[in-house]
Amino acid sequence: MSPTTWGWLVLLFPLIGTVVIGVGFKRWGRAAGVIGTAAIALSFVCAVGALVTLLGKPEHGRELTSSLWNYASAGGVDAKLQILVDPVSVFMILVVTGVSTLIHLYSISYMKSDKGFARYFAYLNFFVLSMLVLVLGGNFVMLIVGWAFVGAASYLLISFWYRRETATKAGIKAFVINVLGDVGLVLGTFFIFRHTHTVSFLGSFAAAPHVFHHDSTDLVAGCLLFLVGAFAKSAQLPLHTWLPDAMEGPTPVSSLIHAATMVTAGVYLIVRLHPLFQLAPTAGEVGAIVGCATLLVAGTIALVVTDLKRVIAYSTMSQIGYMIMGASAGAYSAALFHLMTHAFFKALLFMAAGSIIGAMAGDQSLDRMSGFRKALPFTFACFIIGGLALSGLPPFSGWLSKDDIIAYLNNRGGVYEVLGILGYVGALLTGLYTFRMIFRAFFGEPSPEAKELEHGHLAHAHTPRNPMTGEEEDNDVGFPGPEHVIAERELPMKVAMSLLAALAVVGGFLQIPGVDHVIQNFLSPALANAPLASAAHEPSNGNAWIGLIIGAVIGLVGISIAFRIYIVRPGTAKRLQERLPALHNFLVHKWYFDELIDVVIVQPSLMLGRFALGVLDRGVINDGLTGGVTGLVRSGGAAVRRAQTGFLRYYAAALIFGLSLVLLYFLISST
Amino acid sequence: MNLAQIAAITQHHLKGPYINWAALSPTVVLTVGAIAVLLLGLLSSPMVRERLVPSAALLTLLGAIGAEISRFNHPATIVHGAMRVDDLAILIDLICAVSAIATVILAWRSAAPREAGHGEFHALLLFSVMGMAILASAQDIIVLFVGLELLSIPLYILCASEYRREGSLESGLKYLIIGSVGSATLVYGLAMIYGATGQTGFTGIGNAIASNNILTDPLLLGGIALTAVGFAFKASVAPFHQWTPDVYEGAPTPVTAFMATATKAAAFAIFLRFFDVALISDQNKWAPLLAALAAITIIVGNVGALGQTSLKRMLGFSGVAQAGYMLSGVIVGTQLGVSATVLYLGVYLAMNIAAFAVIQAHQIETGDDRIAGLRGLGKRSPALAASLTVAMLGLAGIPGTVGFVGKFQLIHALVDGGYGWLAIVLVVGAMISLGYYLRVVAAVWMSPAGEHAEISGVPAPGDVLPVALAPIAGGSPEADQLPYTEIVFVAVLFATLCVVFGILPSPLFHLAAHAGAAFSGLF
Repeated sequence: MSPTTWGWLVLLFPLIGTVVIGVGFKRWGRAAGVIGTAAIALSFVCAVGALVTLLGKPEHGRELTSSLWNYASAGGVDAKLQILVDPVSVFMILVVTGVSTLIHLYSISYMKSDKGFARYFAYLNFFVLSMLVLVLGGNFVMLIVGWAFVGAASYLLISFWYRRETATKAGIKAFVINVLGDVGLVLGTFFIFRHTHTVSFLGSFAAAPHVFHHDSTDLVAGCLLFLVGAFAKSAQLPLHTWLPDAMEGPTPVSSLIHAATMVTAGVYLIVRLHPLFQLAPTAGEVGAIVGCATLLVAGTIALVVTDLKRVIAYSTMSQIGYMIMGASAGAYSAALFHLMTHAFFKALLFMAAGSIIGAMAGDQSLDRMSGFRKALPFTFACFIIGGLALSGLPPFSGWLSKDDIIAYLNNRGGVYEVLGILGYVGALLTGLYTFRMIFRAFFGEPSPEAKELEHGHLAHAHTPRNPMTGEEEDNDVGFPGPEHVIAERELPMKVAMSLLAALAVVGGFLQIPGVDHVIQNFLSPALANAPLASAAHEPSNGNAWIGLIIGAVIGLVGISIAFRIYIVRPGTAKRLQERLPALHNFLVHKWYFDELIDVVIVQPSLMLGRFALGVLDRGVINDGLTGGVTGLVRSGGAAVRRAQTGFLRYYAAALIFGLSLVLLYFLISST
Repeated sequence: MNLAQIAAITQHHLKGPYINWAALSPTVVLTVGAIAVLLLGLLSSPMVRERLVPSAALLTLLGAIGAEISRFNHPATIVHGAMRVDDLAILIDLICAVSAIATVILAWRSAAPREAGHGEFHALLLFSVMGMAILASAQDIIVLFVGLELLSIPLYILCASEYRREGSLESGLKYLIIGSVGSATLVYGLAMIYGATGQTGFTGIGNAIASNNILTDPLLLGGIALTAVGFAFKASVAPFHQWTPDVYEGAPTPVTAFMATATKAAAFAIFLRFFDVALISDQNKWAPLLAALAAITIIVGNVGALGQTSLKRMLGFSGVAQAGYMLSGVIVGTQLGVSATVLYLGVYLAMNIAAFAVIQAHQIETGDDRIAGLRGLGKRSPALAASLTVAMLGLAGIPGTVGFVGKFQLIHALVDGGYGWLAIVLVVGAMISLGYYLRVVAAVWMSPAGEHAEISGVPAPGDVLPVALAPIAGGSPEADQLPYTEIVFVAVLFATLCVVFGILPSPLFHLAAHAGAAFSGLF
């Protein structure tokens, strides 16, 4: 079979899974989990098939397209239902299907007592399908479709526990911000399409050098719009505020969508569109600087957040900052390499966090966790492996991949060298916040739950509560199920976590400077025409190794600072807080980004809404764009009743008023 | 003198003008059919009235569709240049006729024709379709006005056809009064344009504007302003939209379905023809204004729909927003723009008919058109629920439905025509619209009210407006609870079309490209 046939099969299985589970969700019951996992596993097998057949082709023939039918071929648009199988997309489908399979497996145990079990797997399969459409799509239309679908899947899964108000609000927030990104992507596409007259990737890339000047306005505008899409999806400044809130979703969802796959779509986008970004270096610089800023801002916030999942979420933002920075600068293979290793160790960290949260009976606060080392030995081992990989210590995977990006930046020089050095600052923060988590959750005096667990009793809350607000809940559909699970007692969770732990250790060996360059060699056919990816820009082996050593030392310094603060002198953190209250407040309030957005966007839209209520229309908005719909409905209902009495004279007056304005416009324009 | 001689003399002396009957055939079929239906309605047998009259109306519409299809790709200018039957007119006629067919089926057993009289109801509907056909092919301001009034006056009556129900009467009266203001504005505008150019034909007006160098003549510009407002009123473009939600909510649902789809198509046909043919040389004057109106419309419509509890009212506001989208194709003044607008009118027809069919079925069953009242529909009738879901997703522009195809082409036209900023507004508007379309979808698939009354996003049954739509007298809701297979059929059929053409849209693109090509003066 050809690689493209495998590619279609990769898409087919999650589609079947979604439909089968979605249609028969009542019939399947527990079997839904098995069906969902099997569908994704088969998809992974097909992805491997695509890899093997693609490697069988000569290097210059590794960009294959296949289309089922013409989606639209009139009015100048030539959009096909088309996939592009090339090294970049095969790399992505391998990561996506591979990690997804393991997380589906983990979910079978993790979600087992949830009333929405089948619905969960239908959503999850739908997410994988969308993500695969996104990365396999052969033209901008398919990309947009996949992009919109993953946004919808993310929304569905964040607000999966739909009776939790915090979860539905987080879902709405994520949706609104992602919509902003969709707008960027759609408009960027048309900016490019206007000149290249084709929506297919390969056609656009071939035409781009002929129709665009170096850094021409439309091209830069298009690329910047793409970056808006990338920033929204990948939670980069200033569109990042949805990601920490997205932790309201079930933990495996955080692991799959909000750490390993979907949030890295922005990185994929930049790499996929690299022929355009190469012609628009200005856009590339913007991307790199924003990525670097996110890396640092998120790293500092992660130092003070006390919710376990949110610490990892900020860490994700920060790590994606590395990737965006690298991809924007031209380190395509390094960025994808880090994307892969990050998928391994971050998914692992989330899974381990899920296990701890299970042991805490749903509580996520780091303030209440401590001393789980003995109670959860397996989870502890996994968390340590993930944490070391994240902090970039040798020989773990994160060490090789992160420093690959930084070495490239330093080698490129100019502004990028500054960014590279700031990247080391980020590495220091990474070591510090990662081991702050580990030392607080696993070391020290065991918490009551940990003690109980050491005696074999898993903690169980009498009344389930929302971990964020403390509100009482029940265990019916729309809320988490009654049982809590830990990896130590669940085989599927153990298997998934062990495999990911192994990958987090050895995943980096695919690319060691001076030893092997598997990923770079594999991707090179797709990057053949990119001057920035040529050998001239790659750092020499010596420089790369110097970078690796510096990176390892800095990671170690970060960890030892954490060790000093949390283990040697346990009161230090508190003293620092008291000494520097302003800084601590600033960080705890996440650099006041939510407040900033409130002032800049929500408040004006509220004002606009009040204006609309009073003047423009009979009562619509009483809340900002991101506000709840319920409030709107209430004011709408009242306004509608009033309108039922029929103010015909007002309608006529509005007509005359509008007419006068239109007339005025024309008369003014006539002079 | 024998008969032969008379015939010979008549033929010799009474020479009528040459009439291209073939090109006029759709209008002729509709006229004959409408009169036949009106007369059939006089018969007293209930069988004739309730079965034969609607059947005759359907037959007429099918005949008109046949005539239209036979004229496809045969553009002709008829009646001394006063009308032009080109592919744009044919496609708009088809949209109106299909919409009318759906209306007849939806009204098959509803209260409206029974109260107003079957003959009258269906004849008025056919006359309105005829008005649309004339309007869509008008090439002269006199014909334009005749067509517009022929379209509107039957609609005023149809809105009030359930005259024992307060809402229906109110709706008809409101529409009549406010519609007259709109028509008056339009006539003033047309008169001023005539005054400025001395021409009544569109091409004549266009030539006069271009050659006499009166691009900035206040009389002409004033005329354009008034005409624009008149058309904007018919197409429910903000700020001239306020009648729309009220009238949509009050009118009988089949009539609302007809108004939402066919009237909009006809209004946009004349919008396209008048602005992109007669006034095209003054485009840089009116295009920015219309773009501003489109942006306002998109925002007002979408924001307005967010707070609605009545489905029909929500669709009224959503129709306003969609009018804003469609205006984009007029603004850019290119063939691509024309075809994008026509394409969108077509897909809008499919999505709205599916939605209104579900509302009609649901209303017959429960006498209720509140969004919250839809809860449990997924359990009661999966076919209806699925159709409504498809319609809502389509209106929101989700990929895989025709709505996406339509929006895609409009954005394409906008960016191509240099109105990128309006494309941004369009996309943002479409995203806001998800807020209310998805709410309907959620309500449809939720368990019936009472099981989880506290679910956010859907109002608890207590705090919404009183159910105003249960018939007050005449037919009680119970009496109306008949099987409604034909309505389910309509809903499922149009929903299927939404999906099929969403996945295989090429035929739509080709048809719409024909409409664009009808304006050979554009690029």
